[in-house]
Amino acid sequence: MKKYLAILLALVLVIGLAACGGTTATTTTDQQTTTTTTNNEPATTNTEPAAEGEPAAATEITLWTYPIGNWGNEEAVKALTDAFTAETGIKVTVEYLTYADGDDKVNTAITAKAAPDLIMEGPERLVANWGANGYMVDISDLFDDTDKAELNAAALAACFTDAGAAYEYPLVMTAHCMAINWTAFVEAGADQYVDRDSHTWTTQQYLDACAALYAYYGDTFSGIYCSGQGGDQGTRALVNNLYGGTFTTADHSAYTWDDPLNVKALKTIYDLQGVEYDPSINGGEEIANFYNGIFKMAYCWNIAQQLNPNSAGTGAGLTATGDEIVFMAFPADGDPALQGGIWGFGIFDNGDAARIEAAKQFIKYFCDSEHTADAVRTANYFAARSAAEGTDLSAIWADNEIMNEYTKLMPYLGDYYQVTKGWAQARTAWWNMLQQVGASDGSEEAIAAAVASFAAEANAAAQG
Amino acid sequence: MSKALRRRENISGYLFLLPSLIFFLGFVVFPMILCVYTSFFDAKLSANVPDAFVGFQNYVTLWKDPVFLKALVNTFIIVLVSVPVVCVFSLWVASAIYKMKEGALSFFRIVFYLPVVTGSVAVTVVWKWMYNNYYGIFNYLLKGMGFIEKNINWLGDPKYALACIIIILLTTSVGQPIVLYVSALSNVDQSLVEAAEVDGATNLQVFWRIKWPQIMPTTLYILVITTINSFQCFALIQLLTSGGPNYATETVMYYIYYTAFKLNNFGYGNAMGVILAIFIAILSAIQFRLAREK
Repeated sequence: MKKYLAILLALVLVIGLAACGGTTATTTTDQQTTTTTTNNEPATTNTEPAAEGEPAAATEITLWTYPIGNWGNEEAVKALTDAFTAETGIKVTVEYLTYADGDDKVNTAITAKAAPDLIMEGPERLVANWGANGYMVDISDLFDDTDKAELNAAALAACFTDAGAAYEYPLVMTAHCMAINWTAFVEAGADQYVDRDSHTWTTQQYLDACAALYAYYGDTFSGIYCSGQGGDQGTRALVNNLYGGTFTTADHSAYTWDDPLNVKALKTIYDLQGVEYDPSINGGEEIANFYNGIFKMAYCWNIAQQLNPNSAGTGAGLTATGDEIVFMAFPADGDPALQGGIWGFGIFDNGDAARIEAAKQFIKYFCDSEHTADAVRTANYFAARSAAEGTDLSAIWADNEIMNEYTKLMPYLGDYYQVTKGWAQARTAWWNMLQQVGASDGSEEAIAAAVASFAAEANAAAQG
Repeated sequence: MSKALRRRENISGYLFLLPSLIFFLGFVVFPMILCVYTSFFDAKLSANVPDAFVGFQNYVTLWKDPVFLKALVNTFIIVLVSVPVVCVFSLWVASAIYKMKEGALSFFRIVFYLPVVTGSVAVTVVWKWMYNNYYGIFNYLLKGMGFIEKNINWLGDPKYALACIIIILLTTSVGQPIVLYVSALSNVDQSLVEAAEVDGATNLQVFWRIKWPQIMPTTLYILVITTINSFQCFALIQLLTSGGPNYATETVMYYIYYTAFKLNNFGYGNAMGVILAIFIAILSAIQFRLAREK
């Protein structure tokens, strides 16, 4: 009796464990992620049949999305995917990633052969990383001549490899910028150096504004954040724009940030009073400091921040204390070159033709149809194309004053160099370099040595 | 007990062990074997390039990697500082409180154990506020008392960053040793203590000759656990400094994570993991050996 009881107990335990381990793809496995499945019954009348010779689309797919505007908001995304399900009959299970650990989760899923069908992010991950490493489906067949004509040329180019494969279909884009606390600028008399109408300023005007701010506040008013964890596009753009330095070669084959013009910019920043290299904060913390009035400038900014500073929901274009925020291009002599953000969808190659077909349907639905406008509005960025299947997308933000004003920066969109090989290591080398520059004695030799050392590290990564 | 009965009981015992054994084999032993195996390959996250066997190349490269060497030095500094401090401090606190009345004893146990049961993210966020360069309480107090003129960037200055990490580590590490020492000291044979006191032994002699040998197993356990925890210092680094500034807080555990999950260089990361495991094993063996001799 005892023996049978023991066997029974052991079996119960083992089965229990097996049951616990056997979670399906639709089950949330991490408390920090939220998973939702659309449950709408499909409306069969609108479902397009697969073309002859093509595999039938699957009825369920998974999407993992980074927090790209409201594409990181469960409620907003559910409304979109419900509509998609109703029209196509394809259910979409969505998992929401964060930038803090999203890459780790995706990489772990890839190694466990459990990658999602679709992923939403930018070319630096979809094309230069997972695509280049052979994990993505080439979706170049989704781009016809009309699409190519309608899509922004820079966005289109960033989604294709040199060999002609496409690993991302772009949906939205923006130009990253910086921001100033206009109220503080006025108080310090630094507003005279800012062209508020064009949102641009020269290097000298920036330096003069910094001098005025330091004279008035007498303390640190701006931080060159470099603890890592993202936001590095802001510091790169500042350094590159000050004296016209470059970050990579035009063909994105090598890193060129050891450009003497960048060394000069880093030295200028080092010598600026009130501007400190700060390895204790990252981009998000810089935004928080700016929002809370500690900093009077922020380099990690874009339209999403302008619409909802620090994601605090306390009013567009306002700090916590109600100071006015003005977005600005990075200071440059001549036209600034702003860092772009391009986001869209890619498909992981999980070896299931039916799921790939369904994922392609999803992409066409949201990126190239009359539904694209909704998908773009949800992202809170600008459409990566002028029109989609006859729907004009160029004026979808006409009713939004801030978005309209922000379009002044879009012509300054610079080279999308984030697709250069070895990008992950190059980013780390960049912020480590900033840390070393900040900890140096500030001599040009010391700065040049730090720049050369870390640029070499990035180039070693680029060589593979 | 008959042979058949003993066999039946053995089988029952093993069956009860089975679920845990499955977990242990699946989540500890198998990954360990896989880790050692992968460390001999140039294993990267790429479907285009198959993993290439490189023998001991990863292990050779390690010793030429300045970041790994810096991380190793930092890790040893953390271990060498935190292990003795944790042991001595927790023994001191336990000695001071173990004879207190139940209410007071529980109060102190709760105070020191609280950081252990509090989530590491919550603990880290609070410490990050306190260390903050612009509005942190340490700068506020030190400036207010006139000790400093300009704010110190505690986590952003290579001179202070590692010490700041060690201080947080200490606060989260002393809770369990204190509880263990309180328990061990309470279990010391009082008749031996009283006999020694009757014979004229001083407090120091009573502690050193009577109590210390009896709490030695606890001390050994605390030494080993604290050593392992210190070697594996990761969450604090990940949440506070990402190894910076200028690699001042880079630890081997963080560098393993960075290499494996940020650079997707699994072979190299696993080689570091193997080396770290060897160091932990050697130090633990030394501690066991010394404790046994004592």
